[in-house]
Amino acid sequence: MQAFQPEEVIVERGSETTSIYRNLREKLPHVPFKIVDGVANGDSDFSARGFGTAKKKLVLTRHKGEFLKKCPGSDGQVCCNYFVINFASNCPMDCSYCYLQEYLAENPALKVFSNVDDLLIEAAKLLSKHRAFFFRIGTGEITDSLALDPYIGFTREVVPFFAEQPNALLELKTKSDCVDGLLDLDPKDRIVVSWSMNPQRVIDLDEHGTASCAERLRAARRCQEAGYRLGFHFDPMVEYPDWEQDYEEMLEQTFATVDWRRISWLSMGVLRNTPGLKRTMRDRFPSTRLLTGEQVLCPDGKLRYFQPLRVEMYRKMLGWIRRAAPTVKVYLCMESKEVWEQVFGFAPGCEKELGIQLANFGF
Amino acid sequence: MSWDQPDRDALFSLVLGLKIGENHQRDLMDWLEEITLRDQSKIQVLLTGKVIKDIESDPRLGRADKLKRIKQQVRRLRFPRLVHVEDLIRARIQELKLQPEIKVTVPAGLEGGSLRVEFAASNHDQLKKQIAKLTEAAEKDSIAKIFALLAGKITENP
Repeated sequence: MQAFQPEEVIVERGSETTSIYRNLREKLPHVPFKIVDGVANGDSDFSARGFGTAKKKLVLTRHKGEFLKKCPGSDGQVCCNYFVINFASNCPMDCSYCYLQEYLAENPALKVFSNVDDLLIEAAKLLSKHRAFFFRIGTGEITDSLALDPYIGFTREVVPFFAEQPNALLELKTKSDCVDGLLDLDPKDRIVVSWSMNPQRVIDLDEHGTASCAERLRAARRCQEAGYRLGFHFDPMVEYPDWEQDYEEMLEQTFATVDWRRISWLSMGVLRNTPGLKRTMRDRFPSTRLLTGEQVLCPDGKLRYFQPLRVEMYRKMLGWIRRAAPTVKVYLCMESKEVWEQVFGFAPGCEKELGIQLANFGF
Repeated sequence: MSWDQPDRDALFSLVLGLKIGENHQRDLMDWLEEITLRDQSKIQVLLTGKVIKDIESDPRLGRADKLKRIKQQVRRLRFPRLVHVEDLIRARIQELKLQPEIKVTVPAGLEGGSLRVEFAASNHDQLKKQIAKLTEAAEKDSIAKIFALLAGKITENP
């Protein structure tokens, strides 16, 4: 995996007293640090320089709003009742299909929020107020959960906190192999470390700067040996000639490397983008073959492979998964009830049902 | 994506000849770029091929029909498997011999996985006849094949 080496770290005044700042200073001794009075609203400077360039500088700033939010899901699709913590924004890696290219187009600065203490206070309040509700919370919605961890040490602050919570499961979702900081912590069965997985061919072509498939699996095994639950997200699945062979091999490698009985969940989702994201992909990655799939516009405004094709893909994947891991929990990400029915023969009655099932499979 | 001069010329000639509007142009340009990216072919070769040229020069067709057919042809090249499944479903619908009284359609792009059946009746007898015809059709193998195709059981290759 490509090491993160920003050109500069820009620190908003007030953040230099935090542990994240101290960690950055220690881990990036050769990188210049600049203290500024405030990070410009809307980050117009970063926006003008473009999404890719914005990843080259790291901004350390306080988060002013709420850290914990309900995952927005996608209109009309089956939802898994997930909550997200945004401890950072944007990602040091650069996947061709990344939805952040559109979602953060006007605000692309690579930011880490320094006030982790506020995050923990907010989470503690929410979890204690709703003890009867079980929360599945992830940190990988608008950033990678672990790619920056060797430099910021975020997990050393949040894992011990979530490990003690009776009504929450924290999912750390990544395409990296940055797990060293996790291995001497005790997850107490409350932390799921999960990987977005793709065959090496897709990684080489479209997941720039990420860990290889083998590196991800090695990291997963180390986490499993350290007592963590695992998750795998086969998402986005990419269709191309011979995709079946590559995906089947990847699944075989996965189940040969980790003990599937300690996998909390697997998800599947095909490549999806919006017409706007597709335009950005054309500009930034004009030769990516991801643009050439047989995608159609779905009612939620996203382009996906046409339904019979993607249902066939899901069914094949499910067959290969079931062959190795007969009872592991598998769900679909951002798919309609009709697609669930065609793939599994059933669809969750409501978002609560899927959320509860996944929470139960976490243990 | 940057276009070579022969590609630009070929599109310009088509756009000028058929007075193609901006939205149709955008569709065509996107599809053509994606076909050539996938197949490592040339836009100019696609647009000056026999099928497109025959449509362009067909004296029986008006401007709008020519554009419609050319777009259909380019769409066929851009989405070969989708069009193949659509063709298979259309053939199975024709086997039912329900049209024109009973209209059976599938959604655009086959999204949703459902079959839409429409009919109208102006009296009780007509309604009973159409329901009987539909009930008979529902027992046919063609209907089962349509649902299988919509559910991703694509057995024949394009």
